[in-house]
Amino acid sequence: MDILTGFLNLVPVTLAQSLLYALLVMGIMLPLRLAGFPDLTCEGAFPLGGCVCAALLLAGWQPLPATAVAVAAGMLAGAATALVNLRFGLSPLLAGIVVFTGLYSINLRILGQSNVALFDTPSLFEMIHPALTRSVGWQIAFFAVLAVLLLALLRWLLSTEAGAAMRVIGVNAELAPSLGISVWGYTIAVLALANGLTGLGGALIIQLQGYADVGMGLGVLINGLASLVIGESITGRQTVTRQLLAPVVGSVIYYQLVSLGLSSGLRPGDLKLATAIFVLITLGLPAFRARGATRESIRV
Amino acid sequence: MTAGAPALQCSGLTKTFDIGLPEPRPALDGIDLTVSQGEVVAVIGGNGAGKSTLLNLIAGAFLPDQGRILLAGRDVTTLAPHRRAAWVTRVFQDPMAGTAAAMTIEENLALAERRGRRHRLRRLLTGERRKRQQAWLAELGLGLEDRLATPVALLSGGQRQALSLLMAVVSEPQVLLLDEHTAALDPRTAHRVMAATLSAVAERRLTTLMVTHNMSQAIATGDRLLMMDAGRIRLDVSGAEKAALTPEALVERFQIDNDRMRLGT
Repeated sequence: MDILTGFLNLVPVTLAQSLLYALLVMGIMLPLRLAGFPDLTCEGAFPLGGCVCAALLLAGWQPLPATAVAVAAGMLAGAATALVNLRFGLSPLLAGIVVFTGLYSINLRILGQSNVALFDTPSLFEMIHPALTRSVGWQIAFFAVLAVLLLALLRWLLSTEAGAAMRVIGVNAELAPSLGISVWGYTIAVLALANGLTGLGGALIIQLQGYADVGMGLGVLINGLASLVIGESITGRQTVTRQLLAPVVGSVIYYQLVSLGLSSGLRPGDLKLATAIFVLITLGLPAFRARGATRESIRV
Repeated sequence: MTAGAPALQCSGLTKTFDIGLPEPRPALDGIDLTVSQGEVVAVIGGNGAGKSTLLNLIAGAFLPDQGRILLAGRDVTTLAPHRRAAWVTRVFQDPMAGTAAAMTIEENLALAERRGRRHRLRRLLTGERRKRQQAWLAELGLGLEDRLATPVALLSGGQRQALSLLMAVVSEPQVLLLDEHTAALDPRTAHRVMAATLSAVAERRLTTLMVTHNMSQAIATGDRLLMMDAGRIRLDVSGAEKAALTPEALVERFQIDNDRMRLGT
């Protein structure tokens, strides 16, 4: 009974947090599902957004421009990964590893130390409405509205000529040039867009929590991937709208599951193993079942 | 675009793959070719004759070692494939290659219609566009006009190839390249797609380069016939001379050339 009470008490806080993390899951989903590019940059772009925003706030910047610069920094990180892949021919996975590894040092430089507290600096939430810093209900409403706005924006973007051109890159990259679609241009654009969202997530979370840590990117990728997989198993992937809803639905459910696990005595340190096994089972089960029949490769 | 210029001009095109190898074999060995506006040219030749290399150079898939390519008087030799897409389109042998499978018929066609123009932040699918698409699809006679929102992945190989063809012609390119585009289809479907091709090309008066393995088809189709061998154009006939050709005479010609190739002279 204690476990259940403990879990239920945490539901609102977890919900607010998971709606914020949904931005990051969108950032993972966009390149992976719509452009066929498994992008790992978020592991570095998420703390980059946080560190840039924190450093600027400490330097006396207003929250809005600080957040905007954090988004721009995330976009640059995404563009860097795209260029490493396109110009130097590294696979998308390796390009992401190279960029997020390099970003760790950059983040440390930007922040100046491994973590900082933001007690005296203003935050975006305080600016919008003071109640946002205290009331979890307000936070849930704010992040839900933000998620809905972003979903509507992405839904519109993907229904435009440019959005459809971007999807061709993921569906049939060889066809794209003959349709007049630049593979370079659109790969850079989609990775910049995705990591801009991730950077925004990083900037918002440090303002919500009141501290920034260079290690805040550790494991965000596997959490995001797990969220995406859960979301997709519920919404499906048949239409663009369903695909777009998957990150939000998945994030909300995943973080409640994590919270339930922690409430029932799972050690925080064991969480990553549990998540890894979960992702392995979900993504790997189809291939495992298909043994004996013709094996299909696992589509990450 | 220069008015009155030939649709396609290739001069001195050469291309050698694996230049580092001891005996590099030229895939193209000095191609000079001028195709006038609206001309339909059939291209035949054995494996390794250089037909696909020629089409790849014109489409921009890779750069020639030497020579120039002009489309309607405009030098496109070094232009990236996506930048010359407005002037040159291609239908591949593989029906899967010419369409985006996970996207719908209407999305594929709309992108094809916008080919070579900037992709704007405007809605891709409009009522007006759908109406045009239905008219195009009705011409194909495959019943696709009622299935605009169907993902292309659900179509048969023949339907997909017919759609690829439609996608290649609706933007009315300067040059249409057909790379054995009916070779992977069953005879009946191949016949249908070829008939659709000829009527689409005639209706829009498109300059066309059609690679084929089918010699009777090459003789029966178009205004002009090229035979390639070992990276060169060996035979270039049109008009009455072309009409007088027989597949037997061509086969004979092929074997002579093949023997010559084997003897290395």
